[in-house]
Amino acid sequence: MSEVTHIPELANLEKGRSLTQDALARLRKNRMAMLGLYFLIGLIVIALLTPWIAPYSYEEQNLELGASPPSAQHWLGTDILGRDQLTRIMYGSRISLAVGFIATAVALTIGVLWGAIAGFVGGRVDALMMRIVDALYALPFTIFIILLTVVFGSSLLLLFLAIGAVEWLTMARIVRGQVLAIKKQEYVEAAISMGLSPWRIISRHLIPNVLGPVIVYTTLTIPSVILLESFLSFLGLGIQPPASSWGSLISSGVEVMEEYVWLLFFPGVVLTLTLFSLNFLGDGLRDALDPRASKD
Amino acid sequence: MFMFIVRRVLQAIPVLFMVALVTFIMIRSAPGGPFDEDRAVPPEVIKNLNERYHLDDPLWKQFLDYISKVVQGDLGPSFKYPSHTVNDLIAAGLPATLELSFYALVFALVTGLTAGIIASLKTNSMQDYIPMSAAMIGICMPTFVLGPILLLIFGVWLGWLPVAGWGQIPGDKILPSITLGSVYAAYIARISRGGMLDILSQDYIRTARAKGLSTTRIVFVHALRGGITPVISFLGPAIAGLLAGSFVVETIFQIPGLGRFYVTAAFNRDYTMILGCTIFFAFLIILFNLLADVMLVWLNPKLRQELEARG
Amino acid sequence: MYMIRWITYCIIVAGLLSGCGKSQKLVDIGNEKQILHMANGDEISDLDPQATTGMPEWRVQLAVFEGLVARDPQTLKIVPAVAERWDVSEDGTKYRFYIRESAKWSNGDEITANDFVQSWRRSFLPALGNQYATSLYVVKNAQAFHEGKIDFTEVGVKAVEKRILDVELIAPTPYFLQLLAHHSAFAVHIPTIERFGAIDERGTKWTRPENFVGNGPFVPYEWIPTKYIAVKRNPYYWDAANTKLNEIKFYPIPKYTVEERMFRAGQLHITYYLPRDKLEYYKAKNDGVLRSFQNFATYFYRFNTTIKPLDDLRVRKALAYSVNRQQIVEYVTKFGQKPAYALTAPDPNSYVPEAKMPYDPDLARKLLAEAGFPDGKGFPKLTIAFNTNDEHRNVGMAIQQMWKKELGIEVGLENVEWKVFLDRERQLDYEIDRASWVGDYLDPFTFLEMFTTGNGNNKTGFTNAKYDQLIRASSLEADQVKRMGYFQEADKILVDEVPILPLYTYHWNRLVSNSVKNWYDNAVDYYSFKQIYLE
Repeated sequence: MSEVTHIPELANLEKGRSLTQDALARLRKNRMAMLGLYFLIGLIVIALLTPWIAPYSYEEQNLELGASPPSAQHWLGTDILGRDQLTRIMYGSRISLAVGFIATAVALTIGVLWGAIAGFVGGRVDALMMRIVDALYALPFTIFIILLTVVFGSSLLLLFLAIGAVEWLTMARIVRGQVLAIKKQEYVEAAISMGLSPWRIISRHLIPNVLGPVIVYTTLTIPSVILLESFLSFLGLGIQPPASSWGSLISSGVEVMEEYVWLLFFPGVVLTLTLFSLNFLGDGLRDALDPRASKD
Repeated sequence: MFMFIVRRVLQAIPVLFMVALVTFIMIRSAPGGPFDEDRAVPPEVIKNLNERYHLDDPLWKQFLDYISKVVQGDLGPSFKYPSHTVNDLIAAGLPATLELSFYALVFALVTGLTAGIIASLKTNSMQDYIPMSAAMIGICMPTFVLGPILLLIFGVWLGWLPVAGWGQIPGDKILPSITLGSVYAAYIARISRGGMLDILSQDYIRTARAKGLSTTRIVFVHALRGGITPVISFLGPAIAGLLAGSFVVETIFQIPGLGRFYVTAAFNRDYTMILGCTIFFAFLIILFNLLADVMLVWLNPKLRQELEARG
Repeated sequence: MYMIRWITYCIIVAGLLSGCGKSQKLVDIGNEKQILHMANGDEISDLDPQATTGMPEWRVQLAVFEGLVARDPQTLKIVPAVAERWDVSEDGTKYRFYIRESAKWSNGDEITANDFVQSWRRSFLPALGNQYATSLYVVKNAQAFHEGKIDFTEVGVKAVEKRILDVELIAPTPYFLQLLAHHSAFAVHIPTIERFGAIDERGTKWTRPENFVGNGPFVPYEWIPTKYIAVKRNPYYWDAANTKLNEIKFYPIPKYTVEERMFRAGQLHITYYLPRDKLEYYKAKNDGVLRSFQNFATYFYRFNTTIKPLDDLRVRKALAYSVNRQQIVEYVTKFGQKPAYALTAPDPNSYVPEAKMPYDPDLARKLLAEAGFPDGKGFPKLTIAFNTNDEHRNVGMAIQQMWKKELGIEVGLENVEWKVFLDRERQLDYEIDRASWVGDYLDPFTFLEMFTTGNGNNKTGFTNAKYDQLIRASSLEADQVKRMGYFQEADKILVDEVPILPLYTYHWNRLVSNSVKNWYDNAVDYYSFKQIYLE
């Protein structure tokens, strides 16, 4: 939830208190965003409490039962080894959310700093920094993550780092593109001519202005990180059994979707709802933080 | 502009060299070799094979030999498919992969931009929610889920389209292109909506509105150029993603493309194939990023002036 | 404005889709033109029979090459092929083959005894790196030649006349003729190979369709990697008059769900395998397309007997006796597999192992307690390694639970990428790992040879003098009854010493369209493509 906690602070820096309150008020009025926020909070609470509230153990098998459709005992059915799917989705949310948020936070931090500095300073520094981004872009990361998991074995920490290391590049590029565009705007040029220190210009004018695209892209990054993890599961390089993530549940569910559709449907629905929530919340934040949007 | 391109091309050379070096180090530090099999191969046979492919030379020599061949355009023999060279395999797989990526990109641009622009014109209305929700579904549906679902519906149940192949049966290119393109369509929709909203709230657009210009004219004449700038910065990486992502689609739809070779090469420890494909993909990615940048500069006159001022 | 555009767009898409109408079915066109479309697992690495090892390669080679002898796909009995007949000496060590006069290469050249002599010579040349070179070590002096110690003239294979081939073996080898039906003993067209490189050069272009010369009922004419390899009828084949198909297309389809969909959509006649969850569906449908048959292959776990606590026989027994195999095949793998209680896969026509590893959780607990781990207390956490695959994962998870439940011990599971897995296994850098063995020929030797001391496939650290002696004796014995007795004893030693935990005998399920005639599925994946036709 990095973006939720960071943004009011940034807004603070720029406009002072009342505008932040304005923004929050605007956010509160956006029903979809608030729904998304509540859903995410609920999900995070459930994920945190899972070890105490899960109806079954996530590895407890019931071979005779096998894959069974939803029933009174197993609300979301059971998988091929007769394990309770609700429990497995709950445990899976711990891993998927952790991967999504931590890896995105890694990407966000590196990407925004990198892009803002490159775009603002410009010239040689920009060229050098963007060439580094280009060089990293040119690495086919799918293969690199495969090789990394092969060499070091797949672990959660590796997933965070590897995925975070992939995702910051686009962030840096988008931020830089926005900064370049905004730098040319009159008010920034005015600030530069007034001799404001670069840091003040970055923090007061640039960062608040690139916030919109960054938030939008962050809401897209968390899903894509969760999806990247599921792609690794599809290749068999994801999380180690008997643990599961949404990705691993979905990638094994898709193989049996015609016979045991609930094994794809429920993890899919949870994933979709989560991503929807993130998205609506991100949009809501964007609209709330952009004073211009409210005047329309 | 010309100097800009030349400089970027020159910069690409050390980048490609680094890509080759890093890949080489990584694959050679992965355990297991190209000739390991379930059925134990006698050590003397392995020795003979290593000699045959010069895998017993010191690593730095292998790398230098390899690079000197690459410079001449020879990517070496494949270990896994000995009767084919890496050049042969890339030549065999590339057309399908490029064609697939191209159709997917066209699909993504057409649907993504349309949806994004439409949504940006009237925010927080059904006209906004419907395309954006569709975009969200597109984003959160992994290709390996979307592909089989489309196949089941249109291929197996309705029987309208073939379930596999590429250029073998009429219509077999439709589903793979949509499957691969939909994620990017969704991204483009969201990014273009965001970009358009930014531009539409600018003063000059307001002025245009105040003057009573029609929405169509505002969108196509004034807003679009600025509004799609973020989409264009997204295109370079999107194309890279399309090429890499084609692996899943190629597997699901049984398409004879490069992506399948590439990923399986990593699992097969087909050293030359991994290196060759990596360098080749890196080359393509650099090329498309350069194209995206050129377009970006071209669309933004101020940037162009700055570049020209710098020479 | 938006609604109108959206609707127009939908209409265009719908129009495009319906415009294609019902897609053509390759299977129907194939039936008309006698073109067989079959899935072939993975992409083939090469066609050279002396430089390949895989199953997909083997099936294409069966179409484009032919050995001295072949098998009847129904009974698996050895039948004449390039050799029209042969004599065997009384002691079983000398063979004389008579090559049929009508046997020709696909370029029209005659096939001579010398072709086989030169081909076998090639298969032993070190630079070629033939992974199967050792399988013909039963030929006199072959090993010495392969190791570069002697000249080829001393090896026990001679062309006596243009069409008479003599082979001398080091010992009576009852399965020798079966070895000749294997691709490693096929003849290759030496002049063609030499035209594209040295005789022992690996991976030259001679196997490309435009250059290829073979002697099977078909010749390749198009090979597009990851798309298909297509073969067409070979007019020079001696039995071309009885060859019915015009073409075969082998599709490399690594994913079983993909080929099953293609089969349903009429794009394939024959699949390679079947997704596990589809078995019930096809069984219930009962329309004759499901082919279900036992394989000559065993699924088992290896124990690393060189490390603690697995060096303790009681611990290995405790682990082995507490696994309920019936449950595994019935509820986990669910593919028709039979529980295996010994290593050698049963051959219904001859050898079935008598020794049986018991399923006895009480005894297992007792043994574990005796070994110093009552109720699993103090038992170190071992790890089961398996290569990435859903089935291995599920079996592993089931066994993990069984050991936890019956013995009170925790084991970990580790999903290891294939090449890493092989590397670790070779260095004995594992604790327990998943393994399987597919018999090369129908003789228990192909399984039991594996666990002799120092064998490259042993990989458990297991060594037993009595066992080694039995296996050696079996290869010198011409009397089949006595040999089978040795094998029974050897299987029993493995059951008693538990270096491995046999789990089940493989079972294969695949789909074969009803229009395919004369296709026989069998335990060793042997097919006679010339007999097959479409209707």
